[in-house]
Amino acid sequence: MGQTLITGLATGGIYALLAVGIVLVFKGSRVLNFAQGEMGTFGLFIAFWLIERQNLPWIVGALGAIVVVAGIGFAFERIVVRNMGDAPRLSVAVATIGLLLLLFALELKIFGPSPQILPGPISGLGIKVAGFFVSPTQILALLTAIGLGIALATFLKRTDFGLGVLAASQDPGATRLVGVPLARVSAFTWALAGGVSAMAALLIEPTVGIFAAGFMTGLFVRGLAAALIGGLTSLPGAFVGGVVVGIVEAFIQQRYVQSTFPGIGSVAVMVVIVLVLLVRPQGLWGKAAV
Amino acid sequence: MTDITGWPYESGRGFNFRFTKRKLIALACIAASIAVPPLLFRSTPFLPSHIALNIAVGVSFILMALSLNVLLGYAGQISLGHGAFLGVGAFASGLLTSKPQLPVLVGLLVAAVVGALFALVLGVPALRLRGLYLAVTTIAFAFMMEESLFRWEPLTGGSAGLELPRPLAGTFAFSQHADYLAFLLVFLVGFWLFDQNITRTKIGRAFNAIRWDEKVAQGFGVPVASYKILAFVLSGALAAVAGALYGHLIGFINSESFAFKSQPNYSLLLVIIVVIGGLGSRSGVAVAALFYALLPRFLEFLQGWEMIVGAVALIDVMARHPGGIAGAVRQRAEKRGEKKARGDLSSTDDDELPKLPKLPRPAGLPERPEILTGSALLEVHDISVTFGGLKAVDEAALTVHQGQIVGLIGPNGAGKTTLFNAISGFVKPEGGSAKFLGRELMDLPPHARARLGIGRTFQQIGLTKDLSVNENFLLAQHVAADYPVPKGLLYTASAGGSERAMRKRATDAIEALGFEAFTDTPVRNLSHGQQRLVELGCVLVTAPELLLLDEPSAGMSPAAVENLGERLREIRDDLGRTVLLIEHHIPLVLDVCDYIYVLNFGKVLAHGTTEEIARQPEVIGAYFGEAVA
Repeated sequence: MGQTLITGLATGGIYALLAVGIVLVFKGSRVLNFAQGEMGTFGLFIAFWLIERQNLPWIVGALGAIVVVAGIGFAFERIVVRNMGDAPRLSVAVATIGLLLLLFALELKIFGPSPQILPGPISGLGIKVAGFFVSPTQILALLTAIGLGIALATFLKRTDFGLGVLAASQDPGATRLVGVPLARVSAFTWALAGGVSAMAALLIEPTVGIFAAGFMTGLFVRGLAAALIGGLTSLPGAFVGGVVVGIVEAFIQQRYVQSTFPGIGSVAVMVVIVLVLLVRPQGLWGKAAV
Repeated sequence: MTDITGWPYESGRGFNFRFTKRKLIALACIAASIAVPPLLFRSTPFLPSHIALNIAVGVSFILMALSLNVLLGYAGQISLGHGAFLGVGAFASGLLTSKPQLPVLVGLLVAAVVGALFALVLGVPALRLRGLYLAVTTIAFAFMMEESLFRWEPLTGGSAGLELPRPLAGTFAFSQHADYLAFLLVFLVGFWLFDQNITRTKIGRAFNAIRWDEKVAQGFGVPVASYKILAFVLSGALAAVAGALYGHLIGFINSESFAFKSQPNYSLLLVIIVVIGGLGSRSGVAVAALFYALLPRFLEFLQGWEMIVGAVALIDVMARHPGGIAGAVRQRAEKRGEKKARGDLSSTDDDELPKLPKLPRPAGLPERPEILTGSALLEVHDISVTFGGLKAVDEAALTVHQGQIVGLIGPNGAGKTTLFNAISGFVKPEGGSAKFLGRELMDLPPHARARLGIGRTFQQIGLTKDLSVNENFLLAQHVAADYPVPKGLLYTASAGGSERAMRKRATDAIEALGFEAFTDTPVRNLSHGQQRLVELGCVLVTAPELLLLDEPSAGMSPAAVENLGERLREIRDDLGRTVLLIEHHIPLVLDVCDYIYVLNFGKVLAHGTTEEIARQPEVIGAYFGEAVA
């Protein structure tokens, strides 16, 4: 019971990171970024190259990955999203599918299709808290999610630029009128989204041990589910949504571990989404209709 | 009988499909002529097996993409999980043809039914969800399917998969790719004609209107919920058939064939194809589908570079042409036609408003009820609408008598449009009632109210602005299209007759308006005044008993407003209609109205004949800062 809760919380924290990236981009550009997961996978390859091939310390590889992927997000906004200004949002979304395919193709071309191994930053059994085992990666995932949440909340609520980001998602026109540099806000959300995607990938990878191109697809769907449950435009909602999805999935998997019917966790996630949306079509924290 | 439930299946007489002999022969000829070449050239050097296979893959992609185009392109409902429908169809047909060894046609039929059922399940949440919320739900659906049902070994064989044979009948099977290609081509013709039937009937127009603005659709009497479900069901069934046909072509599928993680990811690929082809454009989508099916096969020797280049090209094409192939073609055509159109536009001056169409009641609608001139047509009692804590309409009551123009005035934010919305069903009031011809409206959905004979205009022009003037006039006659949806899908004689009558009526109305030059012009290219006029014409085309007009003079020149007064009187005196009019232009109100209600803070402040209201300059002065009359 408690063990499952901890597992759920830790994976939920990682889902929350992905959800935050999706929500940030949605707030900034009103678009669903299909590459949100694959940007993280690309970050894993960068980290793998730095750590395993260049023999740099884990933290250097991780930071390098975060910076590179944030740069990809930034560049994509600058080169593509901004130029598509008034285009239908679906067309912009298809352009992000293009980015997803590009990253995927690059990974395949450079590193090949076979899975790579990237050990986590800390190994070992972990510590025992109140009779339950908590693995080092789980602790790291939880701490990162909480830390990032606090940092983001402080930044968005306490700085002028952060308030600009929040305002831009409500009413871009009015935000521009009061002097917020909209272009910089949008670029910033994409860079940040790239960064958190890489973090999520780095944190989830050690629980699997190996990764390949397309590694994050399943996680992307769960991140989406979390963002949706939280209401797509709400950052606290994204955190809660992530934790909800993580815990529900952990419990269902634990309960039905012997089931011959496959993918019971995915079914549970789908059922949770549908139930939440039937009660609240805007998600738990969402406000305006999209 | 009027069908005010609006469920499209119930609105007509029973089933009696009448295929004329000529039609059947024509169909058979088209199908045969397109299917014969592969049969003629089979096992000759002109059609080697691998070429036949490649063409067949291309045809399959067209079929798959057309299925998503119905949902995404026509009805504007995003599905990012169409791969699941392909899989459902392929597994259904595969199971029936491999184990009990039933003919392919039986497998396809069952695939269509199963696909439609799954689509129905997915379509129900779609009624409550919009845009991204719906999109993400469809991804979750696809993901659930691939991670659970498709991997359930007793059913699908899991990753060991399923062989899909191609038995046609008895011992004959499509052993050669060329034979199967001929079979696929017959389906291509079938899909194409079916798709055409969607677009040339009320079904496609209703989808288009829903994509543009659900309120506009409801205003014209389209039962939005039913048509959304219909779009899902049609698309799901077509996708399942297309997936099954593709499955039988490649001969083997497993749990990962249609998965989100697989390459290609069919769910996303189909979205790419439909958007690149141009939403709703049959030919554009077909071209894009062929391109995506065949190009990768010829570029495999590039060893991965083709994927990189393809992805960059996709981003580039989207950034340059967000409307896809069809959008780019349309833009060029419009640019070429621009000069001519501009000449036409200047010839119709806003100041010189033409006559409104004077049309009898369409045949598809019930007989006009006997109404005594002067009897109460609309009676509104104690309607209240609250937004959050704000009472937008506070126990408002009004009566509109037949044959009158009744004005509804008051300052901005007085609740006039909200009251309109309550009467036409777009907002739900807390309490109160509204009776139209003695019938309670509050139990009816908006489209049913439109069917009863309440037409309305919107402040932002209630037209589908992407569509042409003619298409809007056809859409406006939705309530008069009395054939049931299945007949429309098969374009039976009765559906065809009804459509022809509607086209004739649209032409007459456009002629009466003097808008012949703009018949095929998209509404958005007209001036604001012209759009208003087309909107009025569209509302009048089904001869509704009561017209709710929301600020018709907004954005018109003074001369045009004067002319509008003429037109309103014409609607009352010549057409015998009744009008409830929201207007800020007080001289116009005093000029045309028989009776006036003054609304402020959601309450009816004063009401009386125009003379009585005009004698209270303080009422008018209070709201408009000047004493008029």
